[in-house]
Amino acid sequence: MKCEIIIDSNCEEKIVVYAKQESPLTEEIKRLAEQNSPTLLVYKESQIIKLNTRDIHCISVIKNRIYAICDKEQFLLKERLYTLEEKLPESFVKINQSCLANIKKMERFDTSISGTLKIQFKNGHTDYVSRRQLKLIKERIGI
Amino acid sequence: MNKYLKAFLHRGLIFGGFGPIILGIIYAVLQKTVEDFSLNGTQTLIAIISIYLLAFVQAGASVFNQIESFSVPKSLLCHLSLLYVAYVTCYLINNWIPFNPSVILIFTAIFLIIYFVVWLTVVITIKIVSRKLNAKLQ
Repeated sequence: MKCEIIIDSNCEEKIVVYAKQESPLTEEIKRLAEQNSPTLLVYKESQIIKLNTRDIHCISVIKNRIYAICDKEQFLLKERLYTLEEKLPESFVKINQSCLANIKKMERFDTSISGTLKIQFKNGHTDYVSRRQLKLIKERIGI
Repeated sequence: MNKYLKAFLHRGLIFGGFGPIILGIIYAVLQKTVEDFSLNGTQTLIAIISIYLLAFVQAGASVFNQIESFSVPKSLLCHLSLLYVAYVTCYLINNWIPFNPSVILIFTAIFLIIYFVVWLTVVITIKIVSRKLNAKLQ
């Protein structure tokens, strides 16, 4: 497999692999790329933990506090939602005024008869999609 | 403050101002097209305030769809009822419809038909979008 690395301080960092099929090499590249995801400092009781952003399903405002919601746990964050929005990788998209969702952790979209669109995450957590954010979500998902 | 009440007020404040703008455009068109169309100061003031409140309620009422503790029929019913009360009150105090039970009944029927058509359009559109998004997620 040919390998080309372009060094450009202005470009967005990403790895693109062209392969005829999945192989141990593509899996390894994926694993290494994911290991390299940015981390956030989160709080659980009195502990401070470094949390990899790939493990986060969504970041949500619950009772005026910001939490990173993962598979089974949720961790407190002490940053503002708009600063987090700038720090997070492109897989995160704002779905409403108080939630940043990880596209890779989305299970499915549901509609209700009241005309609202909801996202169900892989851990079962749900949140609604604001109509104002729908255009951006469609773009990020690739419609 | 309850987050839903906050969202209601927030949306109302953002979109409330559109009501008087639309009203102004309609009055301008009426003045150009209807021969003896005129309003006095009090009528204009009532129209501006009532239409502002109507737009405020209309924008804010969408918050009912996001109250998790409400079932879907309950949130729909609350949304419909609040809009109906706001519209009927606004039309009556501006004398756009007379205070006559049969006229109010016709108004109610038209209101329900339009509400149903808008609701159906929104639901179908959202369903199409949801299907496309789910196909991409797979």
